[in-house]
Amino acid sequence: MARFIFRSIISTIVTMLLVSITLFILLEFERPSVAKERPCSGIIRKILGIMATPEQCVSFRNQLGIDQPLPLRYVDWLAGNDWRAESKTGYPLVTLDNLNSGEEEWWMEVDGRYMQFEIDGEDLVALVRQEDGFVEREVMNDLWRPNDDGAGEQFWGVDNKGRAVKWLLGSGKTAFISTQTGWQEIDNAPDDYLPLRKGMLRGDPGFSLRTNRPVNSQIFRRIRNTALLAGLAFAVVMPLALVLGIVAGVNEGKLIDRVISVGGLFGTATPEFVTGMLLILVFAIWLKMFPAVSVFTTDKLSLSDWKKFALPVLTLTTVELGYIIRMTRASMVEVMNTSYIRTAIIKGMPFKRVVFKHAIRNALMAPITIIMLHVNWLIGGIVVVEAIFGYPGLGTYIYDSAIFGDVNALEASAMVTVLVAVVTRLLGDLAYTYLNPRIRYS
Amino acid sequence: MKDKISRDQMYEIHPRIPLAHKQLEEGRITRREFVRFATLLGMSATLAVACAPADEGSGVVEDDGDMADNGVPKRGGMITIGMATDQIIDHPARLSWIEGSNVVRQVCENLTQTNPGAITVPLLLESWEANDTVDQWTLKLREGILFNDGSPFNADTVLFNFGEWLNPEVGSSMLGLLGYLDGDIGRVEKVDDLTVRLNLARPEIGVPENLFHYPSAIMKEGFGGDFIKEPIGTGPFTLEDYVPGERIVLKARSDYWGKSEDGSALPYLDGITFVDLDKDASVSALEGGEIDTFYQPRPADMAALDGADNITSNVASTSSVTVLRMRMDIEPFNDIRVYNAVKKCQDRQKILNLAWLGAGDLGADAHIAPSQPAYAPREIPELDIEGAMALMEEWSADTGNSLPLAVTLVTKNDDGEAEFAQVLKEQMDKAGFDVTLDITEAGGYWERWDEVSLGITAWTDRPLCTMLIPLAYVADAEGNPVPWNETRWVDDEFIEVFNEAAGTLDLEARRELVGKLQDIMLERAPIGIPYFKGVGSLLNSKVKNVPLSPNSYFMLHEVYMEE
Repeated sequence: MARFIFRSIISTIVTMLLVSITLFILLEFERPSVAKERPCSGIIRKILGIMATPEQCVSFRNQLGIDQPLPLRYVDWLAGNDWRAESKTGYPLVTLDNLNSGEEEWWMEVDGRYMQFEIDGEDLVALVRQEDGFVEREVMNDLWRPNDDGAGEQFWGVDNKGRAVKWLLGSGKTAFISTQTGWQEIDNAPDDYLPLRKGMLRGDPGFSLRTNRPVNSQIFRRIRNTALLAGLAFAVVMPLALVLGIVAGVNEGKLIDRVISVGGLFGTATPEFVTGMLLILVFAIWLKMFPAVSVFTTDKLSLSDWKKFALPVLTLTTVELGYIIRMTRASMVEVMNTSYIRTAIIKGMPFKRVVFKHAIRNALMAPITIIMLHVNWLIGGIVVVEAIFGYPGLGTYIYDSAIFGDVNALEASAMVTVLVAVVTRLLGDLAYTYLNPRIRYS
Repeated sequence: MKDKISRDQMYEIHPRIPLAHKQLEEGRITRREFVRFATLLGMSATLAVACAPADEGSGVVEDDGDMADNGVPKRGGMITIGMATDQIIDHPARLSWIEGSNVVRQVCENLTQTNPGAITVPLLLESWEANDTVDQWTLKLREGILFNDGSPFNADTVLFNFGEWLNPEVGSSMLGLLGYLDGDIGRVEKVDDLTVRLNLARPEIGVPENLFHYPSAIMKEGFGGDFIKEPIGTGPFTLEDYVPGERIVLKARSDYWGKSEDGSALPYLDGITFVDLDKDASVSALEGGEIDTFYQPRPADMAALDGADNITSNVASTSSVTVLRMRMDIEPFNDIRVYNAVKKCQDRQKILNLAWLGAGDLGADAHIAPSQPAYAPREIPELDIEGAMALMEEWSADTGNSLPLAVTLVTKNDDGEAEFAQVLKEQMDKAGFDVTLDITEAGGYWERWDEVSLGITAWTDRPLCTMLIPLAYVADAEGNPVPWNETRWVDDEFIEVFNEAAGTLDLEARRELVGKLQDIMLERAPIGIPYFKGVGSLLNSKVKNVPLSPNSYFMLHEVYMEE
């Protein structure tokens, strides 16, 4: 048993790694060779819009750090690049929480003080972090170091946008920065950018291109919201569906079986947006029993908030119920027709005991597979239900990120759904072994 | 009318006001135009309104935009607003989306405020004064205003903000709007602690209006460039919770400087919650009472909630528009007869009804909207299939091309363009064209919007026509069409009249020139503009005192809720 679990966990980790590589290659920006020829193609075009010129795109790529080779970017994404940046700056890089917004910011620790840097003409200006969270400006020209090729001076430091950057003294280099109201050419721009990140393994998926805030500050809330909704729906649907399925299966062909089967089919056959709108119309607009949408105005949930979950959970229940009922019923019918059940009944064993002791265990194998797959769907795939009820869940987050081309957010959320998928598979495996000793002892 | 003053007294406020008043009395400008003009030149709004009684003017429907309300304001309550919150908010000067500015606007304030009815009043300013030639403006600041972190508002604050707007590295669209400062902070001068003087490079009357443009929120001196990290302003609310894509919560400030008319403390509300809902969900939420209003309902949303008993709805005119545009540098639209034939095929009312459910103003092929000042009312051309057919037959006979002429009409499908295209196709097919529609989602059109020969392009609202025309209908210094000139139409007389209009301050003279621009566009520009979009607002009836902004700005400091 222990060995079985150990093997499952190892294969889970390997799966995650392989999937992450595939995902990264699929979702990341195109290969550098393509980028060289057409710097404005793909996602860059999507973000910068129709008016961006090739040189602006090249500058933007540099600022995003996506002009580096793909394998290196994968390592950055997975394990972070602060250690790589530290070898360039020569000083430790740390993250500190902003006192106002609580977001993590990158600072360079120089002689016990935390600094970010900017350039003012020929001067290197340090923004020194004070106790109260504000900064004091200080000129620090003694930090200039000789250039790599010996001509002139350079400095690797951290700017106030979470990037390690290289300035060349008096280079007069210009860069294009995207400012939403158009492009601006800035002077004394850094020569090279390396956007700092801790990497997925350390829980940092980087910045969202859509909001310019850390993906972390949004995605965890979305996961929590979704887990709550999915959990509630799961808790309602599964017992109900299993009980109804078993009842229908045991009573195959009788009236109660027909009622359950047809009712379930009706629910499943209706698309969720129709069900959702119908429920809103009846329960929110006509009867005014429940709110039409799930609007949460604070983070703290109170007991009275249960009403806000009523309609989304009811919608998901309607859609899910019929499917699982059918699976359970079919499986139950099959088991009830096997010779060992018939033998047990003929030998005079009480019917209840036959069903509960011998049939259910075997009949649950197939529904469990379906149920585990549905957990997955509940976590990442209920975009439609989330959109109808204005519920801020992971599904809409993935959808919006994909529409915008927000690669960092998309990769992070895709990894979350993958994680859910492999973990539910693991749980499914464990459930099999519990239900079927043959797997346990093989 | 006891507050009415004599022409001499008007002259003392600004020498240009008496003439405008004379024009008003002779019915040559509207009351609304007079009030806008006089208040911009420093007359108080009450006085300006008193000098322009509603029964004078030129019969234009009067609308001060305020919702009639005689109730006693109640204190307390949170207002909940459905609005997208998922784009970037960092430096307010850099904002390019109204929704983001609607968040900042509650925390930070502008120097001025343009109220519904186009009346601009001082906000953080005490008053302003323009010199006789309108190229030097003296801004007097209100005394004793504190930011929500306790630091004072003074001339240095204003200088700092002008510095941010004029700094190209900040990237504010204010830089273009304040073009009359030539990007030179030296033109902004501190006279004393509470007085700032602007020395303009050329006369401009719109200065106070420009100071209310949405990226011009006043930030504290030394502001670092990220509003979320430093939500410090002089406004009635403070930032409490920021979750992009989910919600933004603002709480009332107890020491806000502003007072209501009867001197009681503001704001009335305890706070504001913006929740990120899509428009369909917003409709159900408004109907179910979960939200009190939402940002920019679409025409279909207005229709869905038409007649709902707890909801107040309104439509404001804008200059947002979908332009039917033809490239006059390539065949077949390089012949004026062809593009004028297309223009004649517009069944304007039908297009408006189908594309925008009838909520808007009809247009006469000029990219100058009735909602913009100086617009000259013009007759709306009728659908004229015979006229179009005649032009096409003449063209066909001259050039030897056979009819029907096959053309492809390209556009996108998210802003009413598809319906526009369909109605147009039906009429064009009767007038010697054979139209193929090529309608894609938005991205598909924006990839080639300036390249296609016949297309429908959406242009967003701009408060003044002088802000739009230089983008789309002129040439650069070398005579080449500017980048966004999608038609490649460059007309010397048009540009000459436009430059003259931009430099003309007299209201009547300016309208005459703008009218000329409209006539030129109708006569020979390769664009068709059948309608300007109306933008609606939907509001739970218990919310009172909401100013209706044509720009969908939320101004909530005097809003209260009954119940």
